[in-house]
Formats: sequence, C-alpha cells, structure tokens
Amino acid sequence: MEQQVTVAIIEDHPVVTEGVASWIRSDPGQRVRLVQTARDLAGLRDSARLCDVVILDLELSGELVTAQIPELVAAGYRVVAFSGHGDPAIVMETLDNGAHAFVSKEEGRDHLVEAVLAAATDRPYVTRSQARAMLADQRPARPALSEQELQALLLWFQGMSKASVGRRMSVSENTVRQYISRARAKYAATGRTAPSKDALLARAIEDGVIKPGEILPYRSFARSVADGPSLGTPGQ
Amino acid sequence: MTAVKPATGPPRTAQPATAQPATAQPTAMMSGGYQRAFTIAVVFLVAGWHLAGAGGQLLHNRHAYASFAFQGAMWLVMALAIGAGSVLVQRGALGWRPAWAVAVIAAVASTAAAAASPAGQMLAVNWAWGSAGWVGVLVLLRRRFSELACFLGAAALGILSVQLWDGLHRTDLAGFLAVFAWSTGAQVAVAAGVRALDVAASQAAAAARREEAARERAATAQIISVARHGRWLALQESAVPLVAELAAGTADPGDAQVRVRCAVQAARLRRLLAEGDEVPGPLVHELQASADVAERRGVAVEIETAGPLPPVPGPARRVITDAAIAILTAARSKARITLASVAAGIAVSFVADTGAVVMLPAPGEDVAIEQQQDDGMLWAEARWNSR
Repeated sequence: MEQQVTVAIIEDHPVVTEGVASWIRSDPGQRVRLVQTARDLAGLRDSARLCDVVILDLELSGELVTAQIPELVAAGYRVVAFSGHGDPAIVMETLDNGAHAFVSKEEGRDHLVEAVLAAATDRPYVTRSQARAMLADQRPARPALSEQELQALLLWFQGMSKASVGRRMSVSENTVRQYISRARAKYAATGRTAPSKDALLARAIEDGVIKPGEILPYRSFARSVADGPSLGTPGQ
Repeated sequence: MTAVKPATGPPRTAQPATAQPATAQPTAMMSGGYQRAFTIAVVFLVAGWHLAGAGGQLLHNRHAYASFAFQGAMWLVMALAIGAGSVLVQRGALGWRPAWAVAVIAAVASTAAAAASPAGQMLAVNWAWGSAGWVGVLVLLRRRFSELACFLGAAALGILSVQLWDGLHRTDLAGFLAVFAWSTGAQVAVAAGVRALDVAASQAAAAARREEAARERAATAQIISVARHGRWLALQESAVPLVAELAAGTADPGDAQVRVRCAVQAARLRRLLAEGDEVPGPLVHELQASADVAERRGVAVEIETAGPLPPVPGPARRVITDAAIAILTAARSKARITLASVAAGIAVSFVADTGAVVMLPAPGEDVAIEQQQDDGMLWAEARWNSR
C-alpha cells in the first residue's frame, strides 16, 4: 500500500482503545495510521471527513449505535464494527446498515487491522463471527447463496484455516476466498442501500469476484431457487 | 469468541429451538384427543339414529313395502356406509375421495329406498328420510362446510325428485318439508357444534401448551441458575486465585504457563457471562460439560452456535458427545466447538490442536463423522441427519 490508511477509533472504554491502538502500531508494514480517538460520534458529525475508516464499538455508553452507521457511511466513512455483541441479528443489522465488516472483540488481534485495510479498498472481509451470522440468517430477504459458498462459510465458521477449507473442498485457497467474498458481495446487494455497499459491490465486480448477472436476479429470490445449476461457475 | 448463545436470527425464531417441537407435540395430542372424542360422539349419534330411528321405522312398517328385502338391503348398505365412514374418520382427516364415496353411496341407497316406498304413503313408511344426511355429517364433518351443505342439498333434491316422479302427493310434500327442516337443521347444528368444540379444544390445548412452556422455561432457568452458580463457585477456585497472583506479582504475565492459565480462565469467564436465559438445548449443555472437564486440564474451549438448532435425539447426542470427549481429551491447549444447523440436521464440528489424528467413536444413530488433519490442527465434524 503506497499510502497509509487513516483510521479513527470510536470506543467508550479507554483500555480497549489502547489495545486497538497497540494492534495498529504493531502492524509490521505500518499500513494504518490512527488519527483520532473518541468516546462518542459527536466529533465525527461536526467536522469534515477526518479519516478513511472508522472502527466503531457498537455499544457506546450503554446504547447500541447500529442505527448511526448509515449516517457515517453517508458522510463517506468506511465503518468496521468492533463489538462484543456477536449476536447474529445485530451483526446482520450492522452489515445491512452499511458497515464493511464485523469483528468481534475476541477476533480483534487477528483480524481488525486486516478488516480496516479491506474496508479502505472496498474489499470484502468476512470474520468467523460474520460467517456465523450469515449462516444463521433466516430472514426471507436473505440473498441466495450457492452450495459451495455455504460450505466455505460453514467450514470457515467452524474454525478451519482457509487453506484447510480449500483442501477439504478440493479447491485452492484462493477459490475459498472467492466463495466467501462472493457470499459477502451478495449481502451487499440486498437490504437497504448505502454508498459503502455499492462501493463494495462495484469493487467485487471489478475484481471478478462476482458477475453483475449473479446479483440482480437473486435479489428477492428464495434460497432454494438460486441453488439451481444456473448460478455462475466460480472464477479461477 | 463471544457466545454460547444460540444464534437467534429474526425475532420469530427467538424461541429456543428445542422447546418448540418438544411442547408442540403434547398440544397436538391433547387437541387431537378432544377431536377424537367429538368424532366418537358423532359416530354414536349417527349409528344410533340408523339403528333405532331408521331401523325401528323399517321394522314397524315391514308389511307396507312392496319389497321388504329391498328396503332391508338398502338399510344394510347404509349401515355398511356408516361402518366404513366410522372407521375412516377414526383414522384421521378424510380425503375428498373416500369421504364423498361413502356419502354418495349413502345418498343413493337412501334415494333408492325412498323410490321403492309406496307412493302416497311415503310420509308414514319411508325410513330413509334424512338418513343420508347423517352419513354426510359423519364423513364430511371436518371438511369444508360448503361440501356438507352441497351434500345435504343434493340428498334433499334426490328425495324431492322421487316425490315429483310419484306425482307430488301434497301430504308427502308437507311431510318432506317438515322432515327436511328438522333433520337438516339438526345435522347442520351438530356439524357446527363439533366445529366450535374443535376450535375450543385447540384453544384450550394452546393455553395448556403455553402453560407447559412457561413451566419448562422456569425449570430450565432453575437448572441454568444452579449450573451457573456451580461455575461461579468453580471460578472462585480457579480465576480468583489467578487474578490475585497477577495482582500480587507472583504470577508473571510473560510466563507461557501463566498465559495458558489466563486463556483458559478467559474462556470460562466468557462462557459464564454469555450464558443467557435462552436454552441452547441439551446437546450444547452436554458439550459444555465436556468442555468444563477439558478446561480443568488447561485447554481453552470455545463453543459457538449458528442458526436455530433442531433437537437431536438422545442416542445421536451420545455419539456426538463421545466424539467431543475423544477430541477434547487429545487437545493440547485449545479447541473450538461449533454447532450449525444444516439442510436436514446439525453439523457439530471440532477444531483442536491434537497434533495427530484422533480415534473417534464409530458413526451410527444417523451421525456421520469425518476428520481431517492439517499442520497439527484437527478438524472433525459429526453430522446428524434427521432423514
């Protein structure tokens, strides 16, 4: 990355803010620069865009702030939710409101910096807790995922490395990433509209993760319909 | 990872996955029991009418008929139709074919008996007035009301056409109208009454189910509370001394041994905190029990669920927990257990640093077990298929 990604941490527990800052500092490539920390969203509301990505604790002063995500996204921020609330319904709401990724507090050390970098380039990043929420999703409006996408999500959620998932499914690690990214992109194509979701989708199409035709016809279809053979073959 | 909480998804699935089917069954049984009782009452009513009412009239007027044998045969056909209908309705909801077959046989027999009655004396001697209607009530009872209405109308039209054919005797017509009014009225009243009782029974059963579910929730809350208290006591013995050592400086956070102890206690604390009032089901409880044992050995265990989980029968659960015990015993420092609902069942998977392949229990009880070893990490999945 030629330029550092700038990030703000919105978190009401100073000790957590400290921890996140230390993860950012210890990134070997120094790819992320922390420009702001705050205990609430007031500072972001009042000024021009301060940074590329916001690391947002979903619970500030005892209140869930998932409903504030669309506002942040509309202001041009990419949002990475970082929360102890791993409840799938909350994760889904977070993503639907335009957050780029969800990272649970336990996943922070391994995934937060990578998720921030992915968000800055509008690329999908799916943590295990996010895979769990996608697998648990029972909403009628959920996107239709293919057998392979579901299998890759399941094995990733179960705790396998992506390389192991690939061996299990007899595909390359890259194809596993592609399956998971495509599932994530399909989610970006459903629910409420947000500039961040459009950007993620556009980048996924540009990167060849998903074809435009794979998204639109399935927007409102039940899962069983899309499991049919008409779904495009995976890339690679 | 955060939680042992079941992934509840949208509000409508927020009910514990296992509680639903477990309590739905008694409800169905209960409401089914009332329905059977109502069905038996209707069977007795219809059979009683045919024996005492129609049969009595048939015997009383045996000399008035041109052919008593024919009338007797028609009476027997009706009796057989009632017998067949009674057996069929006891077996459950009737399809339209058998229901209408029985009803049409009864209507034909009743119309034929009326047609063979001496013209002009129908009012006095015809035993078959309204009999077909009762058979219709019996077999069409739990089908659409309009079907019963059509049938009663058709049966009445049959008798009326016989009268027209006979030359429309005024007394008979008056008698027909009177019999039609009271018998059809009684038949419709019985059908409507049973329908209302069915509704009341299902409401009573639903209320009983709610009460039962509340009782079950209370009992489960009690169990959880006891388990939580037990775990809290265990924490007093394990986590509290560790924190005290860290505070006093006697335990060094740089020491790998101390870090393992911290990881284990952190996993336990997370589980304790994450355990909500929702009941993840007996399988999760059993896996938690296995995890507790492993944690005492210094293995950090996390358990996660995705999606509402179907209830797993006892024998299949035993195969899964046996696999869990084998893997957790072989795990060196960490293990992750996940439960996810899949197409026709549940996938319970284990990822642990066992270092080698683990001897797993033989699959069976509809549980398939697979494992894969990668760089010292074991992945195993026990998949229970309900089909």
